[in-house]
Amino acid sequence: MTRPVDLTPRSAELAGRSATGAPRVSRIRPARRGRPLWLMLPAITLLVLVVGIPFVLAVWMSLTRLDQYSVRHWLTAPWAGLDNYRDALLSAGLPHSLWLSLAFAVLTTVIATPLGLLAALSVNSRFSGRGLVRSLYLVPYVIPTFVAGTAWRILLQPSGQLNHLLQALGLPGGAHWLIGPVSFWTLVGVDVWASWPFIYLMTLAGLQTISTETYEAADLDGTTWWQKTVHIVLPQIRGQLSLGLLLSTLQHFNNFTLPYLLFGSPAPDPVNVLPINIYQTSFQVFRFGLGAAMSIGALILTAIPALAYLRAVRLNAQPQEV
Amino acid sequence: MSWHARAPEAVLPSWLRRGAITLIGGFALVPVLFMVLLSVTPDDEVAGGGLWPTHFEFDNYVKLWSTVPLASGLFNSMFVALVAAIIATMFAVGAAYCLTRFTFIGRRPFLSSLVMVQSLPQTLLILPLFVVLASVGSALGITIVGSRGGLILTYLSFALPLATWVMVTYLRRIPESLEEAGLVDGLTRFGTLYRIVLPLSWPGMVVALVFSFLVGWNDVLFASVLTNPETRTAAVQLQALGQGVEGGAIPLYGQLMGASTICAIPVVALYLAFQRHLVGGLTSGGVKG
Repeated sequence: MTRPVDLTPRSAELAGRSATGAPRVSRIRPARRGRPLWLMLPAITLLVLVVGIPFVLAVWMSLTRLDQYSVRHWLTAPWAGLDNYRDALLSAGLPHSLWLSLAFAVLTTVIATPLGLLAALSVNSRFSGRGLVRSLYLVPYVIPTFVAGTAWRILLQPSGQLNHLLQALGLPGGAHWLIGPVSFWTLVGVDVWASWPFIYLMTLAGLQTISTETYEAADLDGTTWWQKTVHIVLPQIRGQLSLGLLLSTLQHFNNFTLPYLLFGSPAPDPVNVLPINIYQTSFQVFRFGLGAAMSIGALILTAIPALAYLRAVRLNAQPQEV
Repeated sequence: MSWHARAPEAVLPSWLRRGAITLIGGFALVPVLFMVLLSVTPDDEVAGGGLWPTHFEFDNYVKLWSTVPLASGLFNSMFVALVAAIIATMFAVGAAYCLTRFTFIGRRPFLSSLVMVQSLPQTLLILPLFVVLASVGSALGITIVGSRGGLILTYLSFALPLATWVMVTYLRRIPESLEEAGLVDGLTRFGTLYRIVLPLSWPGMVVALVFSFLVGWNDVLFASVLTNPETRTAAVQLQALGQGVEGGAIPLYGQLMGASTICAIPVVALYLAFQRHLVGGLTSGGVKG
């Protein structure tokens, strides 16, 4: 948790000086002329260059027949209208990938949520070693995804450590985790491992807003831990948690690194999620126009939860406007 | 109240708390511990051996440097990610200061776009960036695709909005009354930024710097398309090694896990060093590379 910066000595000093200096005006509205708005110029210029223009170009590219032959003279690439979008929807690959990505994003979030909740509740009260547990919980989240993907790929080999561990526990080991229909669940499982600490963090932030009195009142009523969780904790952290769920779903939907590291590209059919499919279409089949159209489709889908996110943060997004 | 044995905020009974910590902690740590254990396991035992190696092969950490040009990869990753992070943070401070202190036309759309950009699919931006960098490069007679500069530029498209958003959330918490006091004392607006806001906002700048550094360090997609063998980052080298290793007669799994561990170390070190500040930022920014 970030501690608020200790401002007291300084602010006292400054306030004292201003009190003796000029007579303190009720609230100083800085003159419009003195505003150094030029400070934004570098950021805005760069954003236009590396986000704005590429974005507009992506939209335009999705309407052209840009491929590895026409890319040399990409400005004069043949116009395709909405052909790319039609091709994307009619091809067998895309609806499948879309469905896979949606299922993957939602399932991963749904499975990670109880884990994150339980983890946050387990370190909510003081006990010796709590700081250590809190740090260790974040390890899967801190490890870079490309490292986690590489490690899991080895652990999941038919004669890898996971199967050894399962056998040692008396369970059937020897499954091929990275091949066949089960590989979808492997992807979900590994991403749950990598991402549950995010839900944990969001829950923990929410838990800090619940006052001790609330718990004490519940204790006097003799509620069980389950009743406390369902009737006190969950309603109070609803805001933080739903934000966490949205962001988490979005991140899974756009996750390229993990499936790419686990299965490579082109990915086997059961794990050919949208980002991998787009990557393959763009940089292995070199149908840039079609890839752009698929990306725009993905954007429209992610924009729905992103807009919900914007509405959720709007309350905080205001600076202190008098 | 003495009859109350535990703190009121302890929702879970202690048996459940202990059980949850053991199970979840194990789930979180066992794969990482295995990675480290395998990194000192002889290559031929990783695929065919048992749970525990017959002997530790610390040589893996010596051999892997010649198996894969990891030194140059780590240098490239460090260089590209750090330069992008520094540029992003510097630009972000100025933008975030204006966004939190002044009202002007377009402020709300600017704030919204910062959030929207972060949810843009990376695959959407890489195509036009690739095409533009390639054609600008050939028009000017230089190679941009494959160069470190080109990669830095593309990382900025995600690092800059992220850093700006982090700074906005941080600067918002610094009370304006401090700056008003400075203004009364005759400082210019820029002076208050330089003398009052900047010294107070370094924890936020650290968070912005670390997060935008991780954008580059953790990236695989951009680097896999926009680098050549010379400028390849550690992430892409590791991915290529992972794919290539399985074809060999004796898979170099031990060395692969050694290289993975090495790539994780800078990030874990950063996290340990700035843990206090980063955790708060994680919930406000919501990032993972």
